[in-house]
Order: sequence, then C-alpha cells, then structure tokens
Amino acid sequence: MKELIKSIINKLDLPTITYADVRFTSTDTQSIYFEKGDLKHFSTDLDSKAIGIRVLKNGCWGFAGTTILSDESIDKAIKRAITNATLGSKFRTKPAVFKPLKPIVETYNFLPLEDPFKMNDEEKINYLEKIAKKLVGNEKIVYSNVYCELYRQHKIFTNTEGTFVESTVYDSMPMMYVLASNGKETMCRTYPGHMNGHRGGFEVVRGTEMEKHTDEIIEQAIKLLDAPRITEERADIIIGGGHLALQLHESVGHATEADRILGKEISYAGKTFIKPEMIGNFKYGSELVNIYSDSRDEHGMGFHIVDDEGTPGATVDIIKKGILLDQQNSQESAAILGLQPTSNMLATHGDDIPLIRMTNFCLAPGKGSLQDLIANTENGYYIDFTKTWSIDDNRNNFQFTTEIGWKIENGELKHIVKEPTYFGITPEFWAACDGICGEEEWKYHGTFHCGKGEPGQAMHLSHGVAPARFKNIVCNVKA
Amino acid sequence: MRSKLSQLCDQFPDLKISFRLINWETDFLRFFQSMTNYNISKESTSLHTTIYQDKRSYSFTMKDPKIDAVKAKIVEAKEILQKLPADPNFIDLEDDTRKAKVITKKNNIIEIKLEDKTTILQQLADMTAKYKFKIFGTFICNYTIHTTINSNGVDKQEISSPIYFECKAVADANQVTVLEVFGGEDFSLFNLETFEKSLETKIQAACNEVVDVEAGKYKVVLAPRCIGEYLGYLSGSMDASTLDNGQSFFEGKVGEKIFPENITITDSPAEAEMINFSYDYDGHVYEKTPIVEKGVFQNFLVGNYYGRKLDMKKNGGEAKALIMETGDKTLAEMISGIKNGLFISSLHYMNFINPQETSLTGLTRDGTFLIEDGKITKVVNNLRFTVKISDVINGIYAIENRSQTIPFSNNYGEFGIYSTKMPHVAVNDFQITSSTHTI
Repeated sequence: MKELIKSIINKLDLPTITYADVRFTSTDTQSIYFEKGDLKHFSTDLDSKAIGIRVLKNGCWGFAGTTILSDESIDKAIKRAITNATLGSKFRTKPAVFKPLKPIVETYNFLPLEDPFKMNDEEKINYLEKIAKKLVGNEKIVYSNVYCELYRQHKIFTNTEGTFVESTVYDSMPMMYVLASNGKETMCRTYPGHMNGHRGGFEVVRGTEMEKHTDEIIEQAIKLLDAPRITEERADIIIGGGHLALQLHESVGHATEADRILGKEISYAGKTFIKPEMIGNFKYGSELVNIYSDSRDEHGMGFHIVDDEGTPGATVDIIKKGILLDQQNSQESAAILGLQPTSNMLATHGDDIPLIRMTNFCLAPGKGSLQDLIANTENGYYIDFTKTWSIDDNRNNFQFTTEIGWKIENGELKHIVKEPTYFGITPEFWAACDGICGEEEWKYHGTFHCGKGEPGQAMHLSHGVAPARFKNIVCNVKA
Repeated sequence: MRSKLSQLCDQFPDLKISFRLINWETDFLRFFQSMTNYNISKESTSLHTTIYQDKRSYSFTMKDPKIDAVKAKIVEAKEILQKLPADPNFIDLEDDTRKAKVITKKNNIIEIKLEDKTTILQQLADMTAKYKFKIFGTFICNYTIHTTINSNGVDKQEISSPIYFECKAVADANQVTVLEVFGGEDFSLFNLETFEKSLETKIQAACNEVVDVEAGKYKVVLAPRCIGEYLGYLSGSMDASTLDNGQSFFEGKVGEKIFPENITITDSPAEAEMINFSYDYDGHVYEKTPIVEKGVFQNFLVGNYYGRKLDMKKNGGEAKALIMETGDKTLAEMISGIKNGLFISSLHYMNFINPQETSLTGLTRDGTFLIEDGKITKVVNNLRFTVKISDVINGIYAIENRSQTIPFSNNYGEFGIYSTKMPHVAVNDFQITSSTHTI
C-alpha cells in the first residue's frame, strides 16, 4: 500500500499543482449491542479501505475519494480531484494559500492492553451479556441496552511537501442505558454517560466497571420518576466531568474553529460569535478558565504525529486566564487570520476531505477535590450525565438538560432532581466559573460522534476536564 | 454481483442471509463568501450482510466486495454464529417479494455538470452583491443503487439520484442570513429565475432593522421547512421500534383524535416533485401510509423486525416522504392576520428533552422576522424555543393553500437525501424561551 500511496503523490507532483496530499485508511470496527438483555446486533466491518486525494490548484481545493482501490478507480479519483479544483477555481475570487511545510517521516503505533480485534468474540460478548442481563427484571424498567463500539484505524498520510506518516490507533466506547416508566412518564439513566469514548482497547470497556453500576442506574431512573424539578429561577451549579466535557465541546470547542469565523460551515454546522478582531483580547471566561488544544497527548483520541495536511501535532492555548488567544485552524485559515497553524485539520476516513476538528480539547485543572467544591457550596445543584444539548448557530446561546441532579444544601448533597435544565450565553457562562477541581479529578472524556461537514463526518475526539462550578445560572426552563 | 449474491443464498440453505449492496456516488460543491470552498467527488461500494441461524445473528460489512471473499466470510461467520446468544425476538427475514413500480431516474451527477452549477452560483452571487450580501451553501447530487437480496426470495433494486441545493445569502455588514433551497430528483423543475426572485425577496426583508424580542408566547408563521423538521423529529415516535422501546408519544393512540381536524399527515414515497423511494431497508415495498387523518392517529411505521415482534402489519414506512395536507389560506392572509408575532424560516439544533412527551429545545435561524400589524417589518435575532411538538401541532390554526418540497440530508454514512412536502402553518402560543442576541 505504501508504494501505491507514493506513486499517487508522485503523479500529483506537478508544476501546476500548488499542493497535494493523499491519505489511505484501513478501518476496523466492531459493534456489540444488547437490547433488553438479548444480543440484538453483533457486527464487524474489517479492513475497510479508503483513499482520498486533495489538490490545491489555481487557489482552489479539489478532492476525490473512493473505497474502490482498482487502478482504474484511483486514476479516476486523481483526475476528478484535479478537475474539481480547476473548475472550482473559476468561481473563486480569493485564492487559498498554503505555506511550505517541513517534511516529517515517522511511524506511530498505539498498543492497547487488550486488542479487541485479537480477542475471542465470545469473551467480549459474555462480558457485556452479564451486564445486559442485570438491567432486566425490574417491572419499572421498560427498556435497557448495553453496547460497545470498538475501533482500530491504520492510516498513511503523505503530501507533496515530503511528509510520510504511518499510524495505527485503537479507540473504544462502551455504554449502558435504562429507561424507567410509571405509565405516565419515562426517565432514563446512562453509565458512564455519552462522553464515553477513550483511546485504548477492550481495557477501556472493562475500566468503566459498568457491572458495578447497574443497580445504581436502575434505582436512580426509578427514583427520578417521582423526583422534584429545580424550581429556582437561578442557581449555582457544579457540573460533573462527563457533562462538562460536552459543555466545553459545544460552547468553546466548536466556537473556536476558524472555519466557522470564515463562514465555511454556515451551510450546515453554523457560524460563531467570534470575530477575527476578538482574538487576543476578548474576555471569554473568568481568570480560572484556561483552555487548550493538545494533539500531542497520546492519552487522548485527538493525538497525532501530523494532522491531515502535514502540520505537526501541537499544544496551543486557546483561552488563557479567561482571554481568547487563538483558534483551532488549518494552513489556509491560519494564513487568512494571521495565526500559526494549530494542527487541527482532520478527516474521519481516507475518502473524507479534512476539516478543522477538535483533537484533545481541554479545560485545565484548578485546585481541590469535587468533595471540597461541594462542601464549599452553600446552596446549589450538582448535575451530570447529559440528556439533551442544543446550541445556536453562533455558539452563543445554549441549553442543556442532564439526566440527574442533586440538590446541595450547606455543602452537602441532598435529594435528587429530575431533568435539570440550564440555559446560558457562552461568555457570560464561562465568566461565571468560580471553581474548577484539581488534577486528581481531571480526566479525559470523549466521543466517536462529533458531526461536522458535508458530506458528514463523525470524528473521534477527547476532552480533558475536571468538575467545575458556575454561579447564578438560569435553571428554570421547561416546555 | 446481484445474481451471484442470490446464488450465495442458495448455497447456504441452512442459513438465512440478508444482503444489502450499495453503490454510491456523490458530487458535492460547497461554496462560501460567493466563491468555491471545495469540490468533492466520492464513490463507494459496500455490502452489508447479516446471517441468521436459530435466532442467532451476525452482521458484517465489506467495502468493494468480491464474491469469493463474501463466500469465505460467510463460512467464517457461521463459526462465529454458533458461539453467540440468541435473540428470542427474531422471527424471520423480510418476505415481501412484491416489486414496486419502476421509476426511471437520470444520473444527476452526469446531468448537472460542475460548470453548470458554478454558472448558477455566479448569477446568484451577482444578484446578492447588489444588496451587499454573499452566498454560502452546498450543491449536491447523489447517485445510488441499492440492491436488497435475501434467502426468502427478496431481490430488489432501487436507483435514486437526489439533488440538494441550499443557498444562503449572508449580509456583509451584520451576518443576517436568509435561505433558499431546491430539492428533488428532476432538475427540469428547477427554475433559476424563480429561485433567484424568491431569494431576492427574502434579502430585501433581511435588509430591515435587527431587533430582539422578549421570551414569551407568540403567534408565529412557520415556514414549510420548520413544520417539516418538527414532523421529522416526531416521526421517531411513529416508528414501531420506538413503540417497543417504551418511548413513543403515539402509544395507545391509534384511532384517537390527537390533533386538530385540519391536520392530515401522510408518508408518501412516490409523490411527484419529491425524492422517491420504492423499498424500505429490508426490501419491503415502501407503501403510502396515512399517519394522521383529520387529527386522528392512524398508523405506526412498521418494518420487518418490529412488525413480527409486535405482530403489527408491515408497511415499509420510513418517514422519508412526509406530506402535510394543505389548507385554505394564502401565506399573505396568514401574515396579515397577525397583529404581533413572528415569521420563522428555519430551525437549528433541536434535541429532545423527553421524546415520549415530545418536549424539545432548539433555535431559529436563517431568517426570523417580526410581524407587526399584519406585515413583516423587522429582522429578529435568532431565538430559542422550548416546546412540545404536540403543542405546536395542536396550536396550528391556519394552513397555507399550497405546499413546497423541502429537501433534508441524512448527513452520516452514505450521505442520503430525502424530502418533505409542507405548507406554511400559523401557530398560536409558540413558546420562545430566550434570545441568542446574535443573528
């Protein structure tokens, strides 16, 4: 395959082409899904190959991708990528710029502790079946599921700058869900929540210890049916790590993607309230808020040697002491905005065009334990486990609902509340952050399903966070 | 490949095998700031196979499959199958061997050349420039051949070639945005003059002052895209799988009057001017199915697995062609009847709070306007709503006398496009819960 990739990039090394890259991926996925205790779906998609060719010609990008790796199909893809750029340039007033890059030649292989693609299928299924069976039997639990998604991707990237990088990574994502009903309404609980993807093999699935939490989520889902809702107009809230990861993702991660500033995502994903002139001076949050993009940390799913246009992995401060300093960007958007490239151009598969994507997008830890933060809260709520998320076209107005919350009174957790819902305006919300837990509470959460682009791509990425407190947040929103 | 897959079913008489072969191509032009962002061409061939034996099942997917490799994989899968627990609810594969009426379709990737697309975009860019707006959006053509074959004698093929053209005009000064779309499978129905005129009219409205409104309940006119999107979200509750999962709003409501008399909703996959479908995922004929008739809930959408499990009659419905029956008002009459209200063009980022009670939150975008004394007067910042879809439908007091085809994209996997055909509707007591303070 390496020779094939090299031969394609050689064909694109032409004086008329400013820049070109070629990516090959071979992706293995396995999905195991139990519904109401029974194995409903067990599937594999192994060695799924794809190639993508991207060229910059006459200041315009052209791309072609295929999963058909015959000589004829690849030749067709090369021609289509060039034609797409050539014809597209006729409706292009400002040329895309791509500055020269230093070539990198490297290989990276992540080694999982338990390779899910070498394990016995029975072992994985038996492990999850035991958990699935524990979720059935209670008459108030009307539905349950347990699933895990297992993933391995081998990628070869090369470009006309001389970079050639080969890598293999493993990611895993397990979850369980119960739905309780009293005949009038339903309430759900998940574990370990929606941001449950991690770099690693089957050790990630075992590491969640779902079997130890089955009784807990059943009991909580049933109790939620009769639990009160938040009645205060505003309250102080402590957000647990799993849900805070999504809060960070939606209201800072996507908002600081440079393609949104330039309008490249208006047609689908949307814009951002950030304007170029805000970079370097805009107060995005309180002084406690430090947020960075880190594609060099191997523990997160956003790690890479180079991104999908050859920019080496980087750690970049996006927000420092509450001030917006930078954007996640690409070579082209960095040049337009006068920034340094941040290594955020990524595509899901070989036949997808790279887009500006989050990698390991993190909120830096503060100080103290979660217990300390709760103890220091006189009156408020501790909420976690995402149920609903929604944010506007400009990433400014968001509303989230979690599955469960706990009332805090005089520094102690009291009764649970159902469907805690809060609303905020992004910079006001992050300015209201007055406490972030320390390193002992900081960990990665992640997803396989960050959707962006057209045709759509679902990206694996991670968020490192510790629970944090936000003061005086609007909490009383309901349909 | 098709006949060889049929033969493979015969070669494994001890198994029930289901094949779904997808040959998919797309040409995708994305534009921004009145110029090309990028052009993408993609093609793929994938085979999704599920084998069953004694209620045990195992699925695998192969890209660019060769028949010998498929056969070898089935042999391997048989071994895996023996070690799996059974699904007691699996009864049998789809057995509907009827053939739908063949609809001849052109390959729109070939029919609509990239040069033609950029010529159209240039004309629209020139028009919008007069108002100091730029165009942003996508112009997509797909061409897909779905082949469904199984051990019960199902052998179906369906070709689709949908077009999705979405053009947003965005003001240079303040990013006020308006949207015009075309969707369908017949590009001869696209009239550039009409499209341009409609976009220009919206731009003229978008040049007005931008204001904020307070949270509260408003009379609103929802554009066809909005009501189509609400019904799309509600369609999850129409599906038999959701009924089985205990999350359907429609549970126990068949034959019950749940919406006003003026509400009739049908899933109609062969409707003219829409994107058409012949079969569901398993190969059952996708039948025209009444969902709500004069406010009375009629039918769930039922596929093979849950049809058999719940002993419900299958209809192959997938809510990919929802139609709301038109009413008797013109759009102008609907707007002129509102003293103080809103016109909402498009919705964004909706998500259920509780699907069973149809409560959700979401936002407006691409043109929210203030209606004062029966006229559209100002642009309104994007707004957040938190509503129950059932309340929105129950609040419909007027329906337009014409409808529009609105394309939607299924943006994951093999990028799919489907459509709805909806009129404008006027709704009482639509609950705005906050402003975004941005446009």
